[in-house]
Amino acid sequence: MNQAVISCLHANLPAVEAVLKDIELQGITNITCLGDLVGYGPQPNEVIELIKEKKIATCQGCWDEDVVDGLDACDCSYPSQIAERRGHFAHQWTTGKLTKENKDFLANLPYSIRKDKCLFVHGSPNSQHEYLLPDMDAFAALERVENAKAEILFCGHTHQPYIRELANGSIAVKVKNSGSKDIQKKEMNLPMRRIVNAGSVGEPRHGGTKATYVVYNDITNDVKIREVEYDIELTCKAIINAGLPPIFAWRLKNGFEFAERAEDASHVCER
Amino acid sequence: MIERWALISGLKGDLDTYELIQKDLKKTPGNITLFVLGDMIGPEKNCNKLLHRLINPKSNDLQPWCIYGWWEEQILLESGYRGNQRAEALRINKGEEVVKSLINAVDKSFLDWIAALQFGFVELDCGLIHGSSKDVGDDLTLDTPPLTLLDRLTRLQVNRLFTARSTQQFHLELTEGILNSEVHDLTGNHKKEQKVPQKAVIGVGAGKNYTLYDVGTDNTQFVRAGYQSEKKKNGFGLHF
Repeated sequence: MNQAVISCLHANLPAVEAVLKDIELQGITNITCLGDLVGYGPQPNEVIELIKEKKIATCQGCWDEDVVDGLDACDCSYPSQIAERRGHFAHQWTTGKLTKENKDFLANLPYSIRKDKCLFVHGSPNSQHEYLLPDMDAFAALERVENAKAEILFCGHTHQPYIRELANGSIAVKVKNSGSKDIQKKEMNLPMRRIVNAGSVGEPRHGGTKATYVVYNDITNDVKIREVEYDIELTCKAIINAGLPPIFAWRLKNGFEFAERAEDASHVCER
Repeated sequence: MIERWALISGLKGDLDTYELIQKDLKKTPGNITLFVLGDMIGPEKNCNKLLHRLINPKSNDLQPWCIYGWWEEQILLESGYRGNQRAEALRINKGEEVVKSLINAVDKSFLDWIAALQFGFVELDCGLIHGSSKDVGDDLTLDTPPLTLLDRLTRLQVNRLFTARSTQQFHLELTEGILNSEVHDLTGNHKKEQKVPQKAVIGVGAGKNYTLYDVGTDNTQFVRAGYQSEKKKNGFGLHF
C-alpha cells in the first residue's frame, strides 16, 4: 500500500495544500509528517490547523521544539551572523503568532514514530538537529538506521529529498584483551538498510522551487520522490505582508539551494 | 627517546594507586606523558587528597593531564554546574545515599577545577576520552558493534580512540570492510563504494589497570600497577 511522507512544511500554506491535493489525487490516505510545521513561513497556525484537521501523524521538528521551548537554535545552526539574526527574528515572530492550543500541539508531538520496520524522525534518531546528508559517511549513515533498530529510516531536516541504499557491507576486526594473549579475528556482514529523505514541502533547498515529498509502497518497497508546483507568489506576498525577512520570499522564488544551512552541516547542536 | 603515553582512569579517590602508578612510570623507559581519563572521584572514599595531588603534583611527579569522567559529570550535575539538571541517572540507578556519598567525598573547593576540565583531548590522530565522542557515559567494550565504534571514531575524525568508561583493557582494530552506497535524488543515481579505514578503539582500564601507548610504533601495552616491575622478567605486558 502506498503511503506519503511529508516534511518541513515551514508555515507555507499554499505549498502544504498543493501537496495534500497531490496525495489525495493518488488515492493515498496514509500520510506521515516529519515535523517543522512552522518557521520561516507566514501561516504557522493555518498549517497546524490543517495537519490537525487531516489527523496526519506527525513527529516534532527542530523548529517545533525550539518555538515551544523558547529556545532559539544556537549559533552553530546558521551559516552566518546575519542568517542567525533572521532565524531568531522568525522564531520570535512565529512564537508571537502561535495560539496557545497550537503551541501545546507542537509541544506534545513525539520525537519519532515507528511503524513496523520503518522509523520516522525529523533529523536523525540522535537529534532533531542532526542533518543526514546524502553524502555523509556511509558507515555512519548505516549506524543511524541500525542503532535505531529500523530497516528504513525516513527523515527530513536537510530539505533535500533522496533515497539512499546501503548494501553489501562487511567489517573485519582484530581483537585483543588483557586477559588473553590470543588475537581474535572476526568478520561480520552488515545488513542492507535505507534512508529516505522526504525533502521539504514549504521550503525546498534542492535547487528547484517545487515542493517535494515521497511516496513509499510498503509492499514493493519502492520509494518515489514527488515534486509539486504551488502558488509561490502567494506565499511570497504573505511573507512580505507579515513583515518577515524578504530574503525568505526571494529564496522560495529562486529555489536557493543552500539557504540557512550551516557550513558544517554534519555538526550536531549540543545546546 | 621513545615517546609514550600512560593512560589511566577510575582512580575514584585512591591516592595509593595513583602513587603506585607514578612509581611505575618513573621506572618505565621513554619520555612519558600521563593522561588521566576521568573518574578521579567516586562515592566510595574521600577524594580530596587525590584531587589536591593532581592539581599540585609533587616535584618528582609526572604532570597529569586530566579530563572529566562520568563521576565528575554526576557531581557537576548535582552541584548545579549544568543548569537545572541534576544527577538523576545516578539517583535512579544507585539511590540517594550514593548521591550523598559522592557529594561528601569531594570538597566544594575542588568543583571549579573539575568544571574547568576538558571533555577529551585530541593528540596526533588519537582521541582520548572517558566515554566516547558521543557521550561521557558511552560504554564502549569489545562487544560494542563495530558500526558503533566506527561512528564514534568518525565523529571525532581520529584513527585511535582511547576510552575508559567500560573499565576494561582491550584493543579492537577495524582492519577492513566495505559498504556500497547508492543515492537516488532528483538529479539521478550516484553509486559509491566506501572502505573501512584502519582504525582502533582501545580500552585503557581503570584503577591499577592502565595502558601504555608507544606513539612511535603504535603499540599498546596493558599494565597492572605494581605488577610491571615485579613481573617484568616474566614478560608480563601485552604488546599489540
